[in-house]
Amino acid sequence: MAENQAEKQNAEEPIIICEEVNKWYGNFHVLKDVSLEVMPQEVVVIIGPSGSGKSTFIRCINRLEEHQEGHIIVDGIELSHDVRNIAAIRSEIGMVFQQFNLFPHLTVLDNITLAPRYVRRMPRRDAEEIALELLDRVGIPDQARKYPGQLSGGQQQRVAIARALAMQPKIMLFDEPTSALDPEMIKEVLDVMKELAETGMTMLVVTHEMGFAREVADRIVLFDEGRIVEMGTPEHFFTNPQHERTKLFLSQIL
Amino acid sequence: MKRQYDDTFFYIAPSEPPPSRRPPIVEVGPIGWLRRNLFSSKINSLATIFTGVVILGFLYMVLSWSIRTAQWAVVYNNLRMLTSGTYDRRETWRLEVVAGALVFLTGLGLGIWARVARSVFIAVLVSLAVIIIVPIVSAYIPEPTIHILLRPSKTPPNFVFVGLAGQEVTVRLEPQTDPADVDAPLLGFVEQKSRVDWSTLARQVHDGKADLADYNMQFTLRVLDNRLRPLMTDEGPVQAVFDAENPGGTLTFTLPADDWYVLEVTRDDTSEPVGYAWLRIDNVEVFSSQEDLAQRRADRFGDPPEVDNALFAEEKAYRFEGARSFKQFLSLQLAPLFSRLAVPLLIGALLFVDGWVIGVLGKADKRVRRGALIGWALAFPFSIIVLRGFEGSRLLPLVDSGQWGGLLLTVLLTVVGITASFPIGVALALGRRSNLPVVKWTCTIFIETVRGVPLITVLFMAKLIVPFFWSALTDIDLTVRMMIGLTLFSAAYLAENVRGGLQIIPKGQIEAARALGLNPFLTTTLIVLPQALRAVIPAIVGQFISLFKDTSLVALVGLFELVGIVGLIVKGQPIYRPYQREAYIFVAIIYFVISYAMSDISRRLETSGAGSVRRL
Ligand SMILES: Nc1ncnc2c1ncn2[C@@H]1O[C@H](COP(=O)(O)OP(=O)(O)OP(=O)(O)O)[C@@H](O)[C@H]1O
Ligand SMILES: [Mg+2]
Repeated sequence: MAENQAEKQNAEEPIIICEEVNKWYGNFHVLKDVSLEVMPQEVVVIIGPSGSGKSTFIRCINRLEEHQEGHIIVDGIELSHDVRNIAAIRSEIGMVFQQFNLFPHLTVLDNITLAPRYVRRMPRRDAEEIALELLDRVGIPDQARKYPGQLSGGQQQRVAIARALAMQPKIMLFDEPTSALDPEMIKEVLDVMKELAETGMTMLVVTHEMGFAREVADRIVLFDEGRIVEMGTPEHFFTNPQHERTKLFLSQIL
Repeated sequence: MKRQYDDTFFYIAPSEPPPSRRPPIVEVGPIGWLRRNLFSSKINSLATIFTGVVILGFLYMVLSWSIRTAQWAVVYNNLRMLTSGTYDRRETWRLEVVAGALVFLTGLGLGIWARVARSVFIAVLVSLAVIIIVPIVSAYIPEPTIHILLRPSKTPPNFVFVGLAGQEVTVRLEPQTDPADVDAPLLGFVEQKSRVDWSTLARQVHDGKADLADYNMQFTLRVLDNRLRPLMTDEGPVQAVFDAENPGGTLTFTLPADDWYVLEVTRDDTSEPVGYAWLRIDNVEVFSSQEDLAQRRADRFGDPPEVDNALFAEEKAYRFEGARSFKQFLSLQLAPLFSRLAVPLLIGALLFVDGWVIGVLGKADKRVRRGALIGWALAFPFSIIVLRGFEGSRLLPLVDSGQWGGLLLTVLLTVVGITASFPIGVALALGRRSNLPVVKWTCTIFIETVRGVPLITVLFMAKLIVPFFWSALTDIDLTVRMMIGLTLFSAAYLAENVRGGLQIIPKGQIEAARALGLNPFLTTTLIVLPQALRAVIPAIVGQFISLFKDTSLVALVGLFELVGIVGLIVKGQPIYRPYQREAYIFVAIIYFVISYAMSDISRRLETSGAGSVRRL
């Protein structure tokens, strides 16, 4: 653990830089001066009350949403209106959604190999080999030929993780990956995420799973009303929160 | 009162769960089924009985009409017109080649990519068997008689017919001396002209205005051969005299050779004829007046003998009268139709099975699959080239599309309409959802305009108005202009169906695709369209079926497709004028069979592959 920490401090540059990001939906100010830097291999957990802008924020990072002010720089590339940038960025960022968003008309294998084959132009056989490895890694090696509709929620979410990983991203974004799952299935998904964190993946995770945050996160960020209220290590958060809003939020959730 | 429980009340399940059992079987015999489904209450029973009576009554009417009365000759004698219109007779082989190729490809495709349900196979086999067996069986059913009315005022005709060696022919004279005879049901072929006379006479007899009591006709019947020599037997010439002493009687004779014969009827003019009589001839065929059949007859029997006042045993001169029995329906109506269909259908079935077997066996082979794909890709241009030919070519002389008609034209218009309107419709649907205002408004205006006018106006526009504005289009032939009109019309409706499908795709699908780095084009073609189209298969197929049926409107613009060709048949062959009903019913049956097949295929498509799996 200590070694890992040291390595992270040595890493030269932050992989994600957000500077004074602002965003509006119409007149509604969703993100207010959000600034955050994420180092490679870091796991950042974002928590906060409903409607505070967590989803909006991480969706800005792969430009599913556009920010109107400030800068977002991912792996040295600034997110702007330049279409080529967006394609480059997206293929480096994997994203996992609360509703899984698997493609119901494709088999599990095709879901996973789709992007490598059509975006990376990987031959089908290679893509399938990688896909089967990934399925093995997320613990469902024998479901490759099924359709998403034939899997349980936990299995679907793990397929979604495998699908994102198939593009060999440098960063993974998780937007409440376990919120739509039954309690019994939450653990299987969290285990996969934990393992992923251990391999050194840079992760931004929006979640309400405090156990996961405490155990896996390098840093926790608390969002409220579109801004970052408090940020710190799990120890700091759970033993010594400073801001009134943080104390209130933690008291409600724990 | 609340119940009180003490400490002794508890329940613990045994550690082993009970073994799973099958669900109980509910006994339902046929009576139970009837009771539960048809007669479950008084009102339901009434509804069942009422609907049942209506349906049975309707069925009875339809069947009894089509078996006893209907004249299907207009159909079986005009199959070629119905299938290909006025397509050049000498070039029919081209139609056969194209049809054969398409049937083979269909079999191949189904063998490779689909599972053909057993019920379909059985249905096809049974139909084929019926089509082959009916003509064979009906050969053993004797031909019905021919009736010629002998009028007092007119010279009797000389009846000309062909016969085979050994054929036994019976001729009877049936004088109408008894008023009761007038009502006797006639069964057989009656000389067309005489039917009217006969009804008039019947009415007069009935009303007591005509008295048949002093029937006084004297006839001599002689049978002549091809060279008009009397037919001789061991006992002398074949002849019979019917007079006052011998007013009705029978003349039976056996034909010596395959040849033409003449039944010569002479009247003794010394007698004063007052009555009518039927000359009834048994076991002689009414032969078809179709040109090619006449040709075949001439090849076999030579030219008919030349006699004065000849009456040929041709269907042109005769009409079937009286209520037909089922046997006669088989031999006179179904057998001619089926015997004409049997060979093409058998060849078609063989080609289909060939293709299917190759498909099933070669499913795993990449070359077979590729071959099938290439075959299908080339099918359309190949068909058009073969059907149309080239100007000045000797092998494939030009057959102008103006000559294409009947089912051929209907299918062609439909296929072109479907294949061309599908991509256009999808493009219009995507365009209507586009972010670019110009594209969006163009598509919207096009769709709404076309949907706002009746198809027939679009067709007339294609025929008359467009060439007026844009003279380059005048040279394009009418068939192609109709194809364009139908395509655009169908595309507008299709666009709305597809748009419906696009709307139900959750936003998450598009976001997931974009998050994976798929560009908008890939997102649309790989994620959005496959799901959207599958969701609206029923609507799309419905649209295609109505396109198929709507092609009949081009008849109003001057093309002779399946509906239009009936008018042409009747116009060219006035003897079929009374039987348009039968022709239109046959056409309706064809439309129904094809439409039903289309919707059946769509139902199978919906439930195949990922469609059979529960959706997210
Ligand atoms: N497309 C949109 N148009 C307008 N307002 C939106 C849109 N999407 C989100 N919002 C609003 O922006 C705010 C932030 O939304 P966001 O989804 O980021 O919240 P969140 O923190 O992820 O909440 P939750 O925990 O419920 O997912 C909410 O008040 C929401 O109503
Ligand atoms: Mg959210």
